[in-house]
Amino acid sequence: MATATDNDNEGPLTRWVQSAIQNPEKVYRALFYVAMVFFLVTTLFPFYWLLVLAVTPSGRLLSGSFLPTIDLFGVSATFPLPVPKGFNPAAFVSVFEQVPFHLYMLNSFALAVTTTVIVIVVASLAGYVFGRLRFPGRAVLMLGILAVSYFPPAAFVIPLFQVFAGNAPITIPFTDFPLFTPPRLLNTPGSMVLPFSALFMPLSIFILTTFYGQIPDGLEDAARVEGTTRLGALFRVIMPLSAPGVATAAVLTFIAVYNEYFFSSIMATSTEAAKWSPIVGGILSYQTQYTTQYNLMAAASIVGVLPVVILVIVAQERIVSGLTSGALKE
Amino acid sequence: MSAETGRESRRSGVLVDAMRWMENLSDTQYAYLLLIPVFVLLGVVALYPLLRTFELSLYATSLDLTSRGFVGIDNYVQLFTGGKNRFLPGGTTFLPQNLSLDAMLNSALVVTIIFAVVSVAFETLIGLGQALILDQDFYGRRWIRAAIIIPWAVPIVIQGMIFFLMFNSNVGFATPPLADLGLLAPTNTLNDTASATFIIIVADIWKTSAFMALLILAGLQSIDRGLYDVAKVAGASKWQQFKLITFPLILPTIGVAVLFRSVQAMRIYGIIDTVSSCTVVPSLSCMVVATFNTRVGTSAAIAFVTAAIIGAAVMGLIVWQGEDAI
Repeated sequence: MATATDNDNEGPLTRWVQSAIQNPEKVYRALFYVAMVFFLVTTLFPFYWLLVLAVTPSGRLLSGSFLPTIDLFGVSATFPLPVPKGFNPAAFVSVFEQVPFHLYMLNSFALAVTTTVIVIVVASLAGYVFGRLRFPGRAVLMLGILAVSYFPPAAFVIPLFQVFAGNAPITIPFTDFPLFTPPRLLNTPGSMVLPFSALFMPLSIFILTTFYGQIPDGLEDAARVEGTTRLGALFRVIMPLSAPGVATAAVLTFIAVYNEYFFSSIMATSTEAAKWSPIVGGILSYQTQYTTQYNLMAAASIVGVLPVVILVIVAQERIVSGLTSGALKE
Repeated sequence: MSAETGRESRRSGVLVDAMRWMENLSDTQYAYLLLIPVFVLLGVVALYPLLRTFELSLYATSLDLTSRGFVGIDNYVQLFTGGKNRFLPGGTTFLPQNLSLDAMLNSALVVTIIFAVVSVAFETLIGLGQALILDQDFYGRRWIRAAIIIPWAVPIVIQGMIFFLMFNSNVGFATPPLADLGLLAPTNTLNDTASATFIIIVADIWKTSAFMALLILAGLQSIDRGLYDVAKVAGASKWQQFKLITFPLILPTIGVAVLFRSVQAMRIYGIIDTVSSCTVVPSLSCMVVATFNTRVGTSAAIAFVTAAIIGAAVMGLIVWQGEDAI
């Protein structure tokens, strides 16, 4: 009986190996599918783990293992995938009751949208200049803007924090000459939107430079002959014609702001939603106040990640083209 | 004609003057006029803070502007000779005290470099694998690509939460199996420097490989497909095609992507702050944040050293790539 099973198992395998040796194409195909499944599992598994935690009833979180012991043909073995201990989706409601998580998400949205609008307008002007005008100093200026995008946020944060605290007048660096005393911006959108705009602008400038540079001169000239002003030609002709480029820059800026951690955690000094703390503060407040409510942390993470997942699925063409054109241009 | 003049006159005179003035500028003047918003924004949020950070790093710590003690490069000297180590949280040192692994992982500079080198190396390998898969034509390619990109778009705080929940001592299921293999400390995993560094590197690889994959994919897709036809006719195997055509042609792209990612990796902060803590895994950015409220001079010196290291890497990129880097 045992030999029969062995033969049955060996039969197809031997046949497959035989045909693979004759046709190596088959091996590459198999390797390809194995690798694809491997990458799919590794990228998506963490989300599955969040889901497992989120639907596990809070009472059963700490008892027993998430890796159940199963009976494998008489031998007990540990199942290699975590499975939920029970099912209770109430965590997705509690998330909003324990902490006003929707307010944190609204804050994040407001910050991301404001930054995106500022970046698109200012980067459009710069993209027009770099993409369509020839003037002395162009290469040096582009290099300077590129350099800004490489500096670490840590190199900017100390003076910015002091300025946004609004305690002392701003002086010209290396002198004591006071310029003016800034308003207190900590815990307001300004203290986050300003650094975000500067940090994420270079990428948008490079993307828009590429796209605006591709619009034929004739179209702009035609608009000018029709009586449009120079600025009008940019906003009424060149920008609409480069809509995919503008969308790319906007999507990437939005995601970058939504995902930002450094300034979001430092410039919002408290984790209260009323003080403009974005999702960083929201998710971390489950960690400090409700240390044992791991299911809520997981549920909040799932809720917080949904907007970007939807954005990636809807706008993946734009993201791919933007990241590759923008980053490789840089 | 009369309608035209009527509309013109209804506009405010200043606006018309401004428009006319703008129309008559030369290309160069117009270019610099449109760049003013960029200059203002980058000047206020990037250039001024950078200069000011450098200035602060030259002064002793007293914050109040009345008694500023100019100490020159003393903060930097102390940083590199160990005099500043007592201000760093959690017994962290700036440079390693000796060459043991513990001392290395306790040094802010070395931990940052280890993190950058190891994570970027793995991201490049995995990214290359993902890119080779996405370069194929197959049914459902769009969905696979979306799935592979999604980790890149996950907010850092949620990325941190995922790995915190995976390795946390109460609910984390992943610690026991990995501890059995000897990769992680079995208890108090997230407060163990070596284990936490390992977990943070894995978390970064999970999130950023996709970014690497997209950059490499762009390089792959710019390869002339005709080369493969020629190779097939010449009887080259798939492996030979990869070794002799694909790899040499995407090598420059990989080089740019590696340097680009290394620069970003040197900034590591958020994932450390969420998964573990800055006292356990002391990166350079961590040290800046941990000290900037109390020891401004020290903090500014660390920040400027971080910027200088990154600046040197970027200079290397620009010199190496020449004009193409722009």
